[in-house]
Amino acid sequence: MTSGDHHTDATIARRVRRLETLLEEKGLITGERLDEAIDAFLAESSPANGARVVARAWTDDAYRARLLADGTAAVRELGYMEGSFQRLRVVENTASRHNVVVCTLCSCYPLRLLGPSPSWYKSEAYRSRVVREPREVLREFGLELPPGTDITVWDSSAETRYLVLPRRPEGTEGLGEEELAALVTRNALIGTAAL
Amino acid sequence: MARINDVGGTQGFGAIDTTDDTEPFHADWEARVVGLYNTLRAQGIFNTNEFRDAIESMPPGEYLAASYYERWFTAICALLERKGVLEPGALDD
Amino acid sequence: MTDAHPAAPDMAAPDLAAPDPAAPEMAAPDRFPPGTRVRTYRHDPPHHTRLPRYARGKRGVVVEPEGPEELADISARGRGDAPVEQIYAVRFEARDLWGEGDHHVVLDLWESYLEEDPDDER
Repeated sequence: MTSGDHHTDATIARRVRRLETLLEEKGLITGERLDEAIDAFLAESSPANGARVVARAWTDDAYRARLLADGTAAVRELGYMEGSFQRLRVVENTASRHNVVVCTLCSCYPLRLLGPSPSWYKSEAYRSRVVREPREVLREFGLELPPGTDITVWDSSAETRYLVLPRRPEGTEGLGEEELAALVTRNALIGTAAL
Repeated sequence: MARINDVGGTQGFGAIDTTDDTEPFHADWEARVVGLYNTLRAQGIFNTNEFRDAIESMPPGEYLAASYYERWFTAICALLERKGVLEPGALDD
Repeated sequence: MTDAHPAAPDMAAPDLAAPDPAAPEMAAPDRFPPGTRVRTYRHDPPHHTRLPRYARGKRGVVVEPEGPEELADISARGRGDAPVEQIYAVRFEARDLWGEGDHHVVLDLWESYLEEDPDDER
């Protein structure tokens, strides 16, 4: 999905600039304020945050228990989602259960823990299909789940955001928290991949 | 008569392009739109539910043809017009 | 411009410069304890709502309350007087939504989207 498909980027860029100028003239925004907002958006939000939460949960059973009981409080322990009004629910994958996250109505997403969302997450194709045929959708992502796996699709329709706690890969017993975090992918935190 | 954004279970959107794009923005104007959204909302010019409502109220053909941040920009402009901040046509050439 | 609960939910943006609000106060206790069998409304409201059409008039089971929020349907009109309601995570079976399938779907639904299942035969 590129932005240039329907309007040329130049046209829309010009209109955005005009709106900025107009709002500056009205005293509603300043260019500086906008720059700060964009910088903060990019600086505060990264899939590395979600990966760190998962690595902690894999290495610290007490933390894992707290994370599953109250995701919001547990990620705040690590300094994430402070100042956010949203709740976080962490859903755990097991040998028999798989979780996958969507927002069929728009594009709700745990931004601070995962960074800006990938285009596919916002696409009509993903949003329309994963609630109806999750097994087929996961197959398109290259994830083949054993028959009988209980799949739950979490459709983020209100103020709770969802993060998947993937299963820890086998053979990683000797790894430390940082090395484990490096194994965690964004798709695994949404549920469209396993590790 | 659900709105066009309400796509859960709708058939016909085809295969998912699973490309793992890691760049948050594909053009500079997209970042400016996010900045506009955040600053205007933080000032209480509109709330997020109004913003969603404005996106959903786009004519279905326009909604489907628009890119993600084009929808955001369209919604911001619609809300600013509704609230008398922006004159219709003010951004036209 | 009133926005009694300014920290509205984010689609893809953090709450920059937005205050960290206290959770909204709710007058009534939770109507649906975990495990309650519920049914969603069937009608098709001519305004913004957060009950997707695929889950309208469907039976599900309350997982647990998620915390109170202003009703999005009213808040979307820019009104500061939206009622605060409990939101519930509700679990649906795929076959109840689609007539087939063995997965589950969980939605977070405002209290007024739900009624207790009137003729629960399960």
